Amino acid sequence: MSRYLYLALVSLFVCAFFSLTSPAQVAKKAGDVAASGKQAVNLAKAGRCKEALPGLKRAAQHDADPALKRDAGFAGVRCAMTIGETESAIDFLRFLKREFPRDPDVLYLAVHTYSDLSTRASLELAMTAPASPEAHQLNAESLEVQGKWDEAEKEYRQILTQNPNRPGIHYRLGRILLSKPDFGPAMAEQAKGEFQQELAIDPSNAGAEYVLGALARQNQQWDEAIQHFSQAAKLDAGFGDAFLDLGMSLVTVKKYSEAIPPLETAVKLEPQNPTAHYNLAVAYRRGGRQTDAEREFAIHRKMTEQNAAPPGSSQENPN
Amino acid sequence: MGKRFAELKPCISRRVTDQMGCSRRQFLWTMAGSLAVSNLSRFAGALPDIVYPFDEVLASASGIHWSHSAGKSPEKYLPETTGAGCAFLDYDNDGWMDIYLVNSGKCDFLNPNPPLHNALYRNNRDGTFTDVTGKAGVAAGGYGQGIAVGDYDGDGFPDLYVTQYGRSILYHNNGDGTFTDVTEKAGVAAPGWSSSAVWFDYDNDGRLDLFVCRFVDFDQSKNRPCGAGGKPEYCIPRLYGPMASWLFHNNGDGTFSDVTKSSGIAKFPGKAWGVVAADVNNDGRMDLFVANDTLANFLFLNRGDGHYDQIADQAGVAYSAEGKARSGMGVDAADFNEDGWMDLFVANIDGEMYSIYQNNHDETFDDMALPSGIAKATKMMSGWGLKFFDYDNDGNLDLFLANGNPDDLIESLHPGVTYREPLMLFRNTGKAFQNVSEQSGPIFAKPLSARGMAVGDFDNDGALDVLVTVNDAAPLLLRNKVGALNHWLGVGLVGKKSNPDGIGASVTYQAGDLKRTRVKVGGGSYLSSHDPRLVLGIGKRVKIDWLEVTWPQPGGSKERFTDLPIDRYITIVEGQGKSK
Repeated sequence: MSRYLYLALVSLFVCAFFSLTSPAQVAKKAGDVAASGKQAVNLAKAGRCKEALPGLKRAAQHDADPALKRDAGFAGVRCAMTIGETESAIDFLRFLKREFPRDPDVLYLAVHTYSDLSTRASLELAMTAPASPEAHQLNAESLEVQGKWDEAEKEYRQILTQNPNRPGIHYRLGRILLSKPDFGPAMAEQAKGEFQQELAIDPSNAGAEYVLGALARQNQQWDEAIQHFSQAAKLDAGFGDAFLDLGMSLVTVKKYSEAIPPLETAVKLEPQNPTAHYNLAVAYRRGGRQTDAEREFAIHRKMTEQNAAPPGSSQENPN
Repeated sequence: MGKRFAELKPCISRRVTDQMGCSRRQFLWTMAGSLAVSNLSRFAGALPDIVYPFDEVLASASGIHWSHSAGKSPEKYLPETTGAGCAFLDYDNDGWMDIYLVNSGKCDFLNPNPPLHNALYRNNRDGTFTDVTGKAGVAAGGYGQGIAVGDYDGDGFPDLYVTQYGRSILYHNNGDGTFTDVTEKAGVAAPGWSSSAVWFDYDNDGRLDLFVCRFVDFDQSKNRPCGAGGKPEYCIPRLYGPMASWLFHNNGDGTFSDVTKSSGIAKFPGKAWGVVAADVNNDGRMDLFVANDTLANFLFLNRGDGHYDQIADQAGVAYSAEGKARSGMGVDAADFNEDGWMDLFVANIDGEMYSIYQNNHDETFDDMALPSGIAKATKMMSGWGLKFFDYDNDGNLDLFLANGNPDDLIESLHPGVTYREPLMLFRNTGKAFQNVSEQSGPIFAKPLSARGMAVGDFDNDGALDVLVTVNDAAPLLLRNKVGALNHWLGVGLVGKKSNPDGIGASVTYQAGDLKRTRVKVGGGSYLSSHDPRLVLGIGKRVKIDWLEVTWPQPGGSKERFTDLPIDRYITIVEGQGKSK
């Protein structure tokens, strides 16, 4: 049964229940649900998950006893995962997060459940299509997370032997090169080449444009940086950092009037980013718009003061 | 001194990092670090082989056997890691630079036995020094931080203002080799935690006033137990409240008035370490650049009516390019690009890079740290004492930096950052700064917990020497070996209508094709005070065609001199129209 059908049926059931029954009957029915819910929880504890699940679902919807709802929710997630009913597990988890949003036990359970679901999906991909580019890519990403840069690189290169024009792979190879501990100027050039190849395959990759801009900025090649940041911002109108770094680069080369539009966009996209406000203030100030500058400086100052930890807030140096 | 590494990693697009996952967030940081390291060795030595610019003068040769003691405790009180300062001064007016060294001492968290004391060493004119502290009566004894030297009463003898954690001291120079503590009478005790101080004439009345940096709101009862990995650690200053610095007006009768409020300084509580007084907008009034730790720096612009405007954010010297407050410590001001406008420098903590601010002539500045290479070279460093001066007398202002991380646990927390750090030397070619540290001899490879740093020519050879104080260790006296390979003229300035020390005066000189202007700023560096004389380098040229002194207000006159000697010191007294 799909989640939506299930919820619809439950809703119909609840409506019918309240419209056709007297208060005494309601109390009796509630007592029945509570009893069956407890029984379902006990069944789940005993490992009889298939039998337990229907009762757990009913108990989870029962609004008289929060403790029972919570127990049923937890048992529901565990049972559904045990018998492979992943959709039900997700439903139970959503229910728990909605009803007990700040409960650490719920959040902990969510971490493990989603992690388990992710592992299962990975295994399914590995079993179903082990030689597929997707399987190689997943493996490469996993190796990246572990910091195994060389092995990850091999996996990505394997994908390129299968499909030299697969979008996203050169981009990821470029990032790996930038992440390696023995990174040096030569590797930066190599990484740059990967990002350029990525753009040859997929000219719409805003991330590749952005990183090329960042590399150029590191080398103080401002014209090139501005060109790449501009392109990244053009490709992705919601890419706040691209607008911000474009504006900052323009400020650096003293093109204050040109810096104002991208910085204004950055501020709109990321209104809580003090760096954006600061650079917009600088661009206004140097561009002769003193009143606007003072407004932005004031916003930045307020943000900076708020971010400064007041005395008494911490006993541990925030290293 | 208050950075924390994690929060300083360069900002990289969240969009990109989200795609990349947490473990890859640092890739540009790694990239930047690698570039910085690779860049350090690019500059070949500009000086002849083997002759290194500075040699260490050992205590056995100098006779300076005094050592700084921080009074380090298991509680790790913050002042333990911040001191102390030093000075070159000619206290007996014999024409030879003496040395003053500041020590820790008795305070609410320390009662050393035997007591600690500051030290005054008289220059014996032969490369050695004699400890005259007791006779001079300048031992202090409190928890010392810094020193500012200035002739506040115009009697021709330099007086001492010793900043302390607790209560600072004004020592009046009696002119007979002794000093008198006149703090109470003068009204300049500045209770609290004072750091750097500077003598300068803020109201152009011809008398030296006093600005005293104040650090955080701290005493033993407010000490906070901080730690890292279960070990006690020096707290970051962010955990303590800011305090306003002090401005004292010299009344001309041996007393001072506290004008902190009326001047507008009190409106800006900070966590001030370094200060330099200089006229950054060429309006004839002395401004103040103040480095704050974990707060925005201050640029107090002197508006001439006894009032200062704080314009650091508008001027572009308050924050990093990302708009983040950093851990400003040492500062200086100089016209390093010879365009007639004072530029600024501030040293920060590791991960933050130092800043060199070029004056745009409109009360704004551009940080040239990246294009100058200073950003990359200082990325992992923490800087305190620093000074622009022409160490090789080629006519260009070079830059000397004294470094050391304040956190003695830093190496276990952040690989790649060290507690003790080497000194750095940047040579100004006239077009760019070159990091010549690696080519400048073993002293620039020696790891130090350097703090204060003063510049002065203790052997009168025209080559400016350097004194570096080291936290909880002996100071380092460095003899300049290369300045005298070029020609020079040393100039002492004595104001008559203007303030006695000529703070704010400028000296323009022409030697053949070389025309330069040197401005006498107040203070600069960290907790330290410098040789008051200007040394004008002329390279291999053998003649100075003319020299013009522009005195600060209320004098304000220009005096031009010709027929000048070279390779010796002269004194120019305001209004006398001649050199002697």
